[in-house]
Amino acid sequence: MAVPSGSATAAEMSMSQTTEPIAAPFALEMRDLVKDFAGVRALDRANLHVRRGSVHGLIGQNGAGKSTLIKLLAGIHAPDAGSITIDGVVQSHLTPHRAEQLGVHFIHQDRLLVPTFTVAESLFLGAEPRRFGLPLLHGARMRRRAAEILRDTFDVALPPDALVGELNAAQQQLVQITRALLNRPKVLVFDEPTAALVRREVDSLFAIIGRLRDQGITIVYISHYLHEIQEICGSVTVLRNGTDVGTVDPRATPMTDLVSMMVARDIHDMFPRSRRVAGAPVLSVAGLGLAGAFNDVSLTVRRGEIVGMTGLVGSGAKELLRCLFGLQRADAGRVEIDGAALRPRSPAAAVAGGLALVPEDRRGHGVALSLSVRENTTIASLDRVARGPLIDFAGERAEVDRLIRELAIKTPDRDTMVRNLSGGNQQKVVLAKWLSRQSSLYLLDEPTVGVDVGAKVEIYRLIDGLAANGAGVLVLSSDLLELLGLCDRILVMYRGRIVCDTPAAATDSDALLLHATGVGGTAHAA
Amino acid sequence: MPPDSVTMQVAPAADAAAPPPRRGETARKLLRAGSLLTFVAVFAVFAATAPGFLNAGNLANIVGQVAVIGVLALGMTLVVVGGGNDVVRGGIDLSLANNLGLCAAVYATVLGDGWGDGAALLATAATGLLVGAVNAVSVVLLGILPLLATLAVMNVCAGLELVLTHNTVVAASSPVLDVIAGEYPAGVPVLGYVLLGATAVLFVVLQLTPAGLRLYAVGGHREAARAAGLPVGTYVAASYLGSGLCAALASLLSVALLSGSTTGSGDMLLSVVVTALLGVVFSRRLVATIPGTLLSALFVGMLINGFQLLNVSSYWVNGVQGVLILLVVAATSTLRREAR
Repeated sequence: MAVPSGSATAAEMSMSQTTEPIAAPFALEMRDLVKDFAGVRALDRANLHVRRGSVHGLIGQNGAGKSTLIKLLAGIHAPDAGSITIDGVVQSHLTPHRAEQLGVHFIHQDRLLVPTFTVAESLFLGAEPRRFGLPLLHGARMRRRAAEILRDTFDVALPPDALVGELNAAQQQLVQITRALLNRPKVLVFDEPTAALVRREVDSLFAIIGRLRDQGITIVYISHYLHEIQEICGSVTVLRNGTDVGTVDPRATPMTDLVSMMVARDIHDMFPRSRRVAGAPVLSVAGLGLAGAFNDVSLTVRRGEIVGMTGLVGSGAKELLRCLFGLQRADAGRVEIDGAALRPRSPAAAVAGGLALVPEDRRGHGVALSLSVRENTTIASLDRVARGPLIDFAGERAEVDRLIRELAIKTPDRDTMVRNLSGGNQQKVVLAKWLSRQSSLYLLDEPTVGVDVGAKVEIYRLIDGLAANGAGVLVLSSDLLELLGLCDRILVMYRGRIVCDTPAAATDSDALLLHATGVGGTAHAA
Repeated sequence: MPPDSVTMQVAPAADAAAPPPRRGETARKLLRAGSLLTFVAVFAVFAATAPGFLNAGNLANIVGQVAVIGVLALGMTLVVVGGGNDVVRGGIDLSLANNLGLCAAVYATVLGDGWGDGAALLATAATGLLVGAVNAVSVVLLGILPLLATLAVMNVCAGLELVLTHNTVVAASSPVLDVIAGEYPAGVPVLGYVLLGATAVLFVVLQLTPAGLRLYAVGGHREAARAAGLPVGTYVAASYLGSGLCAALASLLSVALLSGSTTGSGDMLLSVVVTALLGVVFSRRLVATIPGTLLSALFVGMLINGFQLLNVSSYWVNGVQGVLILLVVAATSTLRREAR
């Protein structure tokens, strides 16, 4: 903590910042940063220069390197190459503690607050006011000061005794911002601050950010939402594939130009496409809703069709997929599989109804890492390889070997532990699990995340094969090029609604990203 | 601790007007009120039906009877606060009861070897702390789940106790034991005063000092505590050391009560776990607190005492304790899920 424990007075806590003599024009200079994680280059000579007292935006697609860049700034990781300069001084050994001492503070996306603490305790944790200079909490003063600070800074009457766990997302964020302000920050980094907020709360957050800027605090603002960037940022740096592709004035730059900067243009011919014929609807969703995630969602997936879906964090796309598979219960609407109403109240019911889910968190939900390829493959279809109550091991082995061949799973043998396979081959095992069931609808959540390019192509070929054999496929992905190459039709979700439903051939990544960021309006193909 | 009477009314001031508080708050209030009500109701029923329950002497006795388990439960409370009260992954010290057994054996053996109280007390405290230190190392440095780490240490303690005592009763007497087992100022046994004293000390440390607040932060959300710059591991380790010291203190009470070190201390474990977990319902935040633990220790003592007076077999108490654990864990975990 930068504030010495217990010695802070009300005057010190006042939020007015005195303007110090300006030493360097830049509060932050991150130069040519390189960072590799397990052989994957997350940052490749990335630069970020933030002018003192400005609100500086940072945008980029998922995986562009935003969070890596921020973690380097926070001292959580050390860069492999490049330099970080804070306030004109090069920082070679940045730690989280050192970063805070230098006045760089973070408002994390996942609010780091103790849910069982009161607002007052959360604000002063680590720098608690004390009684008579003894190690005794001064609860009364803590509460009084908390109320004063919240009122003076934000004009909010948040009761200092309210429990943090009972506050809503916006209130928790206020507590976190206030906590950061108590440390008199020079630079405040907001990481996707509006993901869990409603519009009205976003407006008040922007008012707060404006006020902080006027007090001389430098703000770095990371967001997916381009219109937010245009609303509050004086400049914005665009990251793509670990490199900064440019820093521009967002207000003088058309939205479409920003999007073009974010999206790479080179589409390789990595998408096999057999002749697929769209047949009868296999999945029909009507009026599906889940409070706080999405509402009135209707869509259809036909047999032999690959439908893509994309949306930013908070768009509700993830939750929609979870609802379809019964991992979460929808509040309203109906789901039909092959024309028969399905109540996916549990994953078991969904599987019985012919659904298959390939989850994003492969290691957490997709495979049992400590079981073998054979066991993982037949775990969801043991009834198909069983003779009475016993497993027909010969039949199981034959089935598993067939799938290993068919999917080209690279494994020493069928009894190898899945833990020992590469990411791409683990993903193939997940697919094999459902192939062995011959499901009629496949829900794929980020099927190629963390998979190398070679394995990607093979997975695309498999997905194509699923549809060619008459199954319906719904792919959720944030990789727009993947969706464009793979899918027949693409749906875009924004803030809980499907705002775009278009044939893949009739759109491009720029248009999709515009829809996903809420500036493309609503477009539905007939 | 701030007063518990809080209005969640948020003035619709400025732009960040607050929507109503999250659900779950009312349910928590009900649970807390219900628990206090149960406490009072059980008290009233015993007062009305159990002969002699209301006697000042009997009530004072209850405090004395729960002293050993109460002090152990205070130690458990420290560990639960620092480790978070997730039943599986959170903080728990299963070695407490057997640590007491080992400490009692050490105390009685050292006295029996002709050493004075000073040396015996020192050896006992050192034993309790050492066991706490082993727990701390296993949990903090080796990263073993507390449930498993302390289970292993529990067995080590049980084994060492057998080595010392050869599974027999080691009689002990000393001036300190005489004091603890002796006079009753104001009708309350000295044992009871030790419990109240330990409660008072730990109440100040845990509920009134910055260190206590930080221990709660470490248990409540480890990442948040780390982000606040707290040395998380140090706090967790300290909670296990404190718990070990509580076992040493409780062992003195046990030796005084039974005039020696006896076998079977491990049987107390369930009661200790119940007492610490039960205490959670007396707090507005559904976390373990020192006053909550004292209340629940008294509640359990009251049950045992009342059943005795009513001539109900004491075997029933075990069953009742088991049911109480289930009820409390079910209620609190449901409420926590809702609040999420």
